[in-house]
Amino acid sequence: MKNNLIVSVSPHLHKGESVRMIMWMVVLSLVPAGAAGVFFFGMDALWLMALGVLSAVATEAVLQKAAGRKISILDGSAVITGLLLAFNLPPKAPFWIPIVGSVFAVAIGKQIFGGLGQNIFNPALVGRVFLMASWPKYMTAFTRPMSYDAVTSATPLAMLKGGGYLAHTSYLDLFLGKRGGCIGEVSAAALLVGALFLLMRGYIFWQIPVIYVLTVGVFTCIFGPQGYFSGDWLFHILSGGLILGAFFMATDYVTSPLTRKGQVLFGVGCGVLTSVIRLWGGYPEGVSYAILMMNAATPIIDRYTKNRVYGSLKLKVKS
Amino acid sequence: MSAAQLLTIFISAVFIYNVILSRFLGLCSFIAISKETRPALAMSLAVMFVTTMSSIITWLIYRFLLIPFGLEYLRTISFILVIATFVQLVEMVIRKISPALYRFFGIYLPLITVNCAVLGVAVLNSDMFFLKGKALAGSFYYSTFQGVCVGLGYTLAMLLMSGIRERLDYCDVPKAVKEFPLAFIIAAIMSMSFMGFNGFKF
Amino acid sequence: MRKYISEFLKGIIRENPTFVLALGLCPTLAVSVTVSNGIGMGIAATAVLLGSNVIIALIKDMIPDKIRIPCYIVVIATFVTITELLMKAYSPALNRALGIYVPLIVVNCIVLGRAEAYACKNSVVNSFFDGLGMGVGFTLALILISAIREFFGSGKILGLTLIKGFEPAFVMAMPPGALLVIGLLLGFFNVIKGRKA
Repeated sequence: MKNNLIVSVSPHLHKGESVRMIMWMVVLSLVPAGAAGVFFFGMDALWLMALGVLSAVATEAVLQKAAGRKISILDGSAVITGLLLAFNLPPKAPFWIPIVGSVFAVAIGKQIFGGLGQNIFNPALVGRVFLMASWPKYMTAFTRPMSYDAVTSATPLAMLKGGGYLAHTSYLDLFLGKRGGCIGEVSAAALLVGALFLLMRGYIFWQIPVIYVLTVGVFTCIFGPQGYFSGDWLFHILSGGLILGAFFMATDYVTSPLTRKGQVLFGVGCGVLTSVIRLWGGYPEGVSYAILMMNAATPIIDRYTKNRVYGSLKLKVKS
Repeated sequence: MSAAQLLTIFISAVFIYNVILSRFLGLCSFIAISKETRPALAMSLAVMFVTTMSSIITWLIYRFLLIPFGLEYLRTISFILVIATFVQLVEMVIRKISPALYRFFGIYLPLITVNCAVLGVAVLNSDMFFLKGKALAGSFYYSTFQGVCVGLGYTLAMLLMSGIRERLDYCDVPKAVKEFPLAFIIAAIMSMSFMGFNGFKF
Repeated sequence: MRKYISEFLKGIIRENPTFVLALGLCPTLAVSVTVSNGIGMGIAATAVLLGSNVIIALIKDMIPDKIRIPCYIVVIATFVTITELLMKAYSPALNRALGIYVPLIVVNCIVLGRAEAYACKNSVVNSFFDGLGMGVGFTLALILISAIREFFGSGKILGLTLIKGFEPAFVMAMPPGALLVIGLLLGFFNVIKGRKA
């Protein structure tokens, strides 16, 4: 069963790499972003990441043992879940947040569906929205990067929502990561390095992330604050969890559509939902919710964008 | 009658306060019939038709019969009678027009009578769009529109859920959570993700 | 007497309307935010159930089969209206808390389900005890679910704080929390059932 986990539409071509290899490559690609998180936010970030990963792995091992299934923690997928969950946390989150979040993510987001390959929703995001809905106070306590004291400051997106003026955060700052935010999402530069690696090795495909980001850019540009086409699209692309979400969570094979057509729909859907929430919803950031909603829609998208099976003919029945 | 108000009703009924995932109306049929897409879609269309029409009829009854005679306390009884009668009528009409469609719906059609969503939206309309016995401006159109949107919200939840459950049919789900428990957990996650629309202001 | 007791008890565990028959889920999830709401709804639903079961058992031979469902609904709706009015008069706070779910007891599958499945086929006294058992079973299920949700969602039960310094998970008091609790409880009961078999 595990060897058939790369699900795609026929015809099939094998590259010879196992699921395990791909998972660990993804972990590797997340290292630059993790390092950037530690650079900007200090040892707190490292601590949160460690707790997230350990809790995720432990939960998976315990649940699989209890269900009498083979323990598969070495395939790296729980590590990815724990790491991505930690990336979505603010630096000053209390120690129990990544623990509870990872347990929930692995248990309810993944194992209860039967484990890897069968989950409908991205487990890390399931954990994140659970945390967000349960302890909003702890999930939005952001600090200014590279400061020794915990100087609370809002993220750029939150400031935008509150009507604040963002004169002091330049695009370069946004790109490099010198801004308030969650520990793994701030540095677009570091994230893109990892993403590029995955793209070049063919572990993820460019369609979903590029279309997602493009849609957000176009949408936020058109529906700008001073009338149409006045939106600051570059700001929106570089802020919040968009790069992290688009390249590392929306691209998860298991929870995104199989066909190219479906993937385009997925990307556009994520983009529109993210933009709508950012522009008119109550929350400053919508990436997690948008991706989860599109995860829910993926089975239906797959159903209606199925390619014609190679070699078959459409029979016309005379009634 | 403002576009912003209509949009707010739409977003509320379909996303933020989705009739199934947030208000828990119509849960029984949701859990029971969302196993496959085609019956789910058929049920959704039928429900949408009934919610729309009953929104109209119950509004008229509330406005021109119950309030003028001071009989607001008979709201529950009169609404449910209206709905039961209407569903019975729909059943008879469908049976006459298209026996094939009637057979397709099967027992799902009479079940719409006890679908909480239908009575729920009627009661909701009379709570939201009437104040102290007077109909608010545009009340009729908002009520009807809300009836449509509640139907749409029902359809959306059913469509997503049936797709998911059909897909999970191919999977090796733990025995203890097969069928109902997992359906609830999926609904929980869907409900959490729909929370992203909270605080929507256009 | 024995028969009556067994009719009563079956509604509590063996045929618990919420966990076994999966009926009346709409109000269960909606009102189970606090234990006091759960108890309130349970009592209201039990009152309606008792009334409707008894009356329907009394008049069952007078109702033509073709229109039996609308007849049941009229009986049930009458009792719901009575309960609603009594609640509005004597505990308006509870009425406000339960909101539209009080009139929705009319379409609570438990009430109609018991009328259709039991009261129309059994004696008045039996129907009374069946209704009582189902109502109590429903109330107990409500108490269980709302206790979990109230504790994890606000750290209190019946308004009393149990553990100091406990950070409640707000989502438990919200719709997703309700769906989650019932999904996990159903799964948990399945595991127990599986072990017993």
